[in-house]
Amino acid sequence: MGRIFDWIDSRFGVKAPHSRFLQRPLSERINYLYCLGGVAFVLFLCLVVSGALLTIYYVPSQDEAFQSIVRITREVRLGWFIRGVHKWSANLLIIFIILHTLRVILYKAYQPPRELNWVVGVCTLVVAFASGFTGYLLPWDQKAYWATEVGTSMAGTIPYIGKYLLYLLRGGTEVDGSTLIRFYSFHILWLPVTMALLLWAHFHMVKRQGISGGL
Amino acid sequence: MNRRAFLSTAIKVFFTTAGIITGTIALLFSYPFKIKKRAVKYFPVMDEAEIPRRGVKTVTFKYKRQNRVLNTRAFVVNHNDIVYVLSPVCTHLGCLVNWHRRKHEFLCPCHGGRYDIEGKVLGGPPPAPLTRLPYRVSEGKLYIGLKV
Repeated sequence: MGRIFDWIDSRFGVKAPHSRFLQRPLSERINYLYCLGGVAFVLFLCLVVSGALLTIYYVPSQDEAFQSIVRITREVRLGWFIRGVHKWSANLLIIFIILHTLRVILYKAYQPPRELNWVVGVCTLVVAFASGFTGYLLPWDQKAYWATEVGTSMAGTIPYIGKYLLYLLRGGTEVDGSTLIRFYSFHILWLPVTMALLLWAHFHMVKRQGISGGL
Repeated sequence: MNRRAFLSTAIKVFFTTAGIITGTIALLFSYPFKIKKRAVKYFPVMDEAEIPRRGVKTVTFKYKRQNRVLNTRAFVVNHNDIVYVLSPVCTHLGCLVNWHRRKHEFLCPCHGGRYDIEGKVLGGPPPAPLTRLPYRVSEGKLYIGLKV
């Protein structure tokens, strides 16, 4: 395994520039609260893997979405497990991002030169919320439908542009099949890609600027 | 073994195990869960009187599979007073062959497979002759058996 990696790395050259970062000594002042962001990232990876698996059986159509969810839970081998991993990772991701944010606030880690990384971090929180909101509609049951009805109606209360924003979110005047496909597209394509880019920027800045209070 | 080497090995073992478990779960999850043995069912295709006295007759008929009605066809052949039914599915890669009356051959439009009136391979890539489908005649009707 190591030899295969070395063969690839001697041509790809990804090990050397990162070893300085991965093998540096950490400050004594670092504690386990510094792991909260890492935990959130691992949960994101769990979501990507379990979500990619769920797309194999999920059908984003207003006639079949609910049936396909039932099939995943009851008939597909380990389907209940993969769905459970996706659901619980999603809940825990929000919790751990918020805990990570609190840690950054308490340690004043948002201060210069890390203001931009704070902004990127807040963006990942927004994208995580958006993923949670769009994913909530996909089971296409009563709870999902009414949560989206209410959630999108909130956007409609914004003065002047609210109505147009509402139609944009719903893909029409009502929550229906076009809303489902719209949310599905956002949930499995646009938001994860945005999240990946944001996380890359986030980690890049951690690497360049070091950990606040640590290095 | 010092502390550093132990931790390094432990991390490798942990991630390899996690990777193998995740991969196994992913394979189990994605492997189709509905693969059943298909039983032969008989479908009526034509009246007994319509069975050709000589040559090949193409029949189109409907059959039911998992509550869906599908269209398919088959060849009812009478060759030297022996009646048999040939499946139109080419044994090469599954296209549907056609009966070419003038050349007196079954021709596959996809890769040029050729079969004679008995379904034996005359040329092209097919590895095996055309499948003979089971049939039965009862109450004046011809029934063809399909695996559904």
